[in-house]
Amino acid sequence: MTAASVTTRASAPQRWSWLGRPRMAGSPAVLPAVLGLPVLLWQAVFFAAPLVFLVVMTFWQVKAFRLEPAFVLDNWSRILFSATFQRALVHTFAVAGTTTVLAVALAFPAAYTIAFRLSPRMRDLAVAFLVVPVFSSYMLRIYAWQIVLSPEGMVNALLGGIGIEPLPLLGGAFSLQVGLLTLTLPIAVLILVFAMAGIDRTLIEAAENLGCRRARVIAHVIAPSVRPAIMLSATTSFLLAFGDYISPLFMTGSKPPTLSILIVDTVKSGSQWPRASVIGVAMLVMLALVLGIGQWLSSGRTARRGAAR
Amino acid sequence: MNRPLATRLSRLAQYGFLGALFLFIATPMLVIVVFSFDANRFPTIPWGGFSLEWHRAILDDPMIRDAFVNSVLVGLGTAVASTVLGFAAAYIDFRYRFRLKLPFVLLVAVPPAVPATILGMAMLAFLSRLGLFGRLETIMACHVAIATSFSMAIIRLRLNDLSRDLEPAAWNLGASPAAALVHVVLPFCKPALIASFFLSAAVSFDEFLIAWFVGGVHETLPVRILNLLQGQVNPKINAVGTVVLVVSVALVLIAQRFTGVRAGRRTPTS
Repeated sequence: MTAASVTTRASAPQRWSWLGRPRMAGSPAVLPAVLGLPVLLWQAVFFAAPLVFLVVMTFWQVKAFRLEPAFVLDNWSRILFSATFQRALVHTFAVAGTTTVLAVALAFPAAYTIAFRLSPRMRDLAVAFLVVPVFSSYMLRIYAWQIVLSPEGMVNALLGGIGIEPLPLLGGAFSLQVGLLTLTLPIAVLILVFAMAGIDRTLIEAAENLGCRRARVIAHVIAPSVRPAIMLSATTSFLLAFGDYISPLFMTGSKPPTLSILIVDTVKSGSQWPRASVIGVAMLVMLALVLGIGQWLSSGRTARRGAAR
Repeated sequence: MNRPLATRLSRLAQYGFLGALFLFIATPMLVIVVFSFDANRFPTIPWGGFSLEWHRAILDDPMIRDAFVNSVLVGLGTAVASTVLGFAAAYIDFRYRFRLKLPFVLLVAVPPAVPATILGMAMLAFLSRLGLFGRLETIMACHVAIATSFSMAIIRLRLNDLSRDLEPAAWNLGASPAAALVHVVLPFCKPALIASFFLSAAVSFDEFLIAWFVGGVHETLPVRILNLLQGQVNPKINAVGTVVLVVSVALVLIAQRFTGVRAGRRTPTS
């Protein structure tokens, strides 16, 4: 359907005229161009170009603290073969992987309860409650955990009250996961809630009528139909945890450093922009790989299961 | 209703688990707000008595006041610009078919998925070459590049409910495509536009890494907090935090009020 097929344009009422007479609107391509070009330009200048420049910069050189155009592979070899980078890479993968597993494992039962056990009104409230932290005050909430878990913080004050020695809660893998779950859990639960609420209830009733117990319904009806959402929830959690800067900084004091910490440190120390960009580009490549694998798993599995039946 | 004991226990465990998870999510927010009214310098138990000392202290802190003003300016600019751009992107996705449409949509949709550390560094490196480093407008422009993704999503979802025949009807009655857009599509999208306005403001008000990278001497409120956090324990942080928390939670709640998204009443379209 195009505007060209409209025949009565010439007799347009006068009230539209301030927007240009219909004939003046020109070819059908004018409006999309007027709408689309600003978006395109904005995203190109402030999003795409910086990322392209990041890749370009990986081949540049720093001479006397000044960034100079060049084409050297030195930055890549120095970063990729450095023990610091490799340790940080393994550490970041391990941390983000742990967060992903924990987030999905905790989110699934919670989403199940919200989607199938709460009344529609309570479900809306739960969703509203979960949306708020996705968009607000992540850094503050990490700071709050820091003061709750610190040696003289609330948890240890409470434990001390019942005669338990202060626990070293802050500064290790435990507090790091607390921080990263603060970041990932709300969104992981939301993705699963929306998927589960969209399941056709008659499927579940049919399974129950055929004598399925609840555990079997979950394993054979609910889990397969939300498999793409489980993968989405997992990859989102991984993405957030992998790139996060705040939790490693405040929950472990950057020791051992994750890749994000390494980026900021590399920029700060001696303005090593090219090396920092190598780390950044390497992270983006790895994230793209993980997302690609996630995509492949969620589509491939369902296709194979479908074929097996 | 008489259910078997096992079922009741299982229900109890489910509700208990959900409650614990919600408590985990709510605790940090409550801690910030509650301890901003604590007279103690270091926030811990026992509670040191009610005090407005720290709230008063942030009012007297010129850096915090400036940062607040900066945040409001950046947030407002981001809200307006990303709602306009988000609407344009959503409408183009809704109405037109063209080659390279997928790259176009991805260009708008993807930015929030890129870790802010990497994006902030890339933006700083590139924009400082254009002489845009250290300006409030630059922080805003970068926030818009991220927030437009959410605006587009909210408005596109609303456009799903717009009948495909409504615009052609307006064209047949003599409206130009632009007139139909202004008099038919825009009014229909009003709730989504309002939601997008408040959500983009919230995204901007909460963002600190990019603002930290590209802002230079211009600190937004979250950047001020980040700098306070890297110093000593400062009881002002809880008070500023309460302000930020209240503002950003309010923005998100208003945005939610205007989106029609409800789990379960409509099947997610994906």
